[in-house]
Amino acid sequence: MPLGCSISRFDEARPLSSLEPGAIGVVVRVLRDRADRADRLAALGVTPGARIHVLQTFPGIVFQCDETELAVERTVARSILIDIADRASGTRLATST
Amino acid sequence: MSDQPSGGIGFASLPGVACPYVAPDPAETPLLKLRVRPLRIVLIGNPNVGKSLVFGRLTGRYATVSNYPGTTVGVTRGRALIGAEVCDLLDTPGVNALDGALSEDEAITRRIVAGPDADLVVQVADARNLRRALMLTWQIAECGKPMILVLNMVDEAHAHGIEIDTAGLAAELGIPVIETVAVEGRGLTELRTALTRPAAPLVRAEPGKDRVRWAHDLAVTFRRQRRRSVGRFQEWLNQAVRRPITGLPILVAVLYATYLFVGVFGAQTLVGLLEGSLFGKVINPAVVSTAGQLPPFARDFLAGDYGLITMGITYAIAIVLPVVTTFFLIFGFLEDSGYIPRLAIFSDRLFRAMGLNGKAVLPMVLGLGCDTMATMTTRILGTPKERLIAIVLLALGVPCSAQLATIMGILGGISFAALMTLFGVVLLQMVVVGFLAARVLPGDRSEFILELPPIRWPRLRNILRKTVQRVRWYLGEAVPLFLIGTVLLFSLDRIGGLTWLARVSRPVVSGWLGLPPKTAEVFVMGFLRRDYGAAGLFDLAHQGLLSGVQAVVALTVMTLFVPCVANLLMIVKERGPRVALAIFVFVTVVAVTTGTVLNHAFGLLHIAF
Repeated sequence: MPLGCSISRFDEARPLSSLEPGAIGVVVRVLRDRADRADRLAALGVTPGARIHVLQTFPGIVFQCDETELAVERTVARSILIDIADRASGTRLATST
Repeated sequence: MSDQPSGGIGFASLPGVACPYVAPDPAETPLLKLRVRPLRIVLIGNPNVGKSLVFGRLTGRYATVSNYPGTTVGVTRGRALIGAEVCDLLDTPGVNALDGALSEDEAITRRIVAGPDADLVVQVADARNLRRALMLTWQIAECGKPMILVLNMVDEAHAHGIEIDTAGLAAELGIPVIETVAVEGRGLTELRTALTRPAAPLVRAEPGKDRVRWAHDLAVTFRRQRRRSVGRFQEWLNQAVRRPITGLPILVAVLYATYLFVGVFGAQTLVGLLEGSLFGKVINPAVVSTAGQLPPFARDFLAGDYGLITMGITYAIAIVLPVVTTFFLIFGFLEDSGYIPRLAIFSDRLFRAMGLNGKAVLPMVLGLGCDTMATMTTRILGTPKERLIAIVLLALGVPCSAQLATIMGILGGISFAALMTLFGVVLLQMVVVGFLAARVLPGDRSEFILELPPIRWPRLRNILRKTVQRVRWYLGEAVPLFLIGTVLLFSLDRIGGLTWLARVSRPVVSGWLGLPPKTAEVFVMGFLRRDYGAAGLFDLAHQGLLSGVQAVVALTVMTLFVPCVANLLMIVKERGPRVALAIFVFVTVVAVTTGTVLNHAFGLLHIAF
């Protein structure tokens, strides 16, 4: 999938690693710079559309993805792009392409 | 679906998860026929969804159940009566995916499910996580086997406000979908009935739809989210154990409680009752006086210094049994509460410095139960390098339950400082070795991604069952080795081997380590089984043959010293004989060196306990 399709929407998405505890949002995209990581995350339910709730950011990042609670290191969190809930609610698109 | 805010987000923006799918032809899989061998049913599902519970319910056999992903390693087999047929049932380790980058266990499960031996696949799913489960359903469907979907833990799903339109889902997938609460046996009758009429799933491959999109759409259609009614205390506890401010004091409290229960109640009170009173005053005197009637050889064989009863049975039953039992009880409690994986959050950074990641806390803590089992559990780690480092650290530093408790029993009686010195030295040794191994060994570590199981109040029944099973395993495994060890020592003593051993090892044992020559015997015993050696030290300490410093040195060396025979065989099985030999030599060198340094450091600094 080429980069650049609907890039404007990714501008608003922020990496999970930059969110504060308590933040709620929806996964927009998982970067595929490392395919095995993206596959593992997908198998755990971290895929576009999944709801995210950040629970804790120190000493490790802990978040809830739908009903699964996950702990990840920062590098992993950087590759998960999140659309924050309040902004997302009004402007969500049905599909991007 | 207005209460599903995630509905319809842009899937097309997900690049690269392509999944070519060819629908199986249901006509090619006859469901009933006369069989040459029993029908084989495979249980499969995401980790920690309760496969082993369903397995136990269907077969009547107990497969170890805990509350963390990866309890089942390898495949468990059993028999179940389904309809009028006796079927083979296979319990597999949890899998998150059947294609892409697979772990060792996932590869094993894939081979079983896709292979010709599996006639029927039962997917067990956590009802709260329908979307994840369906992604796996898609992949199972690719194998073209008839299947059944079991939505387990519906009680917890309801508490989370989740309801699933089971009938709708069943119609959509074309397979039976059964709701269960396996831990209470609810829904099992329905499952047994459904097992007689499985069907090949209808996973319609629409153009442009991959499994992520497909699973998401189905979950949105068939899952309703209502108000949650999860206990506030549970939520609070979950938060408290993972936040550093509350989590670290809780960790200290848990360790202290373990020490009180295992080290004081088990290793001192119960051992005192059994060894001091029952064996010391009743059984052994009776045995000695009865054996007095026998010829001298037989008398010594049964009731001498290295007698089968006075040594072998006494060690196994009076010293080690109370300790492992108390340990397994508290350990089972911790396992089922979901607490252990949360320690990974705190330890991730430390483990990363050692070439591992936080996930390694699982095999390390399980090693406190039994290093041999924990060596198998290293399969959950991502890369060969991580598995190797974890196996070395387990062999080197992690004391098993029996050993841990004898350590507590001996050193707890001397001073708390002595106990802390030993743990400090051993931990430091593990960190140093891990740090060096991370840099010397080739390969990478994997990234830390860990699923945390829910915090639950453990069920007493499961803890007791698990403890009974483990104690039975201990008796079956350890007692024969204790007896063999005793016979070996008895024979060595008869042919003068022990005197020879003490003389040969004197420079090391007495010279370098500053220990009484008799300790050499204990080290030999420690190789047969770590806890056997520890029990030997316990005996020496009780006879007043060890000073405080000597006890600390001896126990440190014993803890670091070679793993027991069973553990070594497991390493051979998992990593091959060459690696095992290398680990053996390495660990021996580290143990003796550390003991020597410690002995001289105590002497130079005039430290006594």
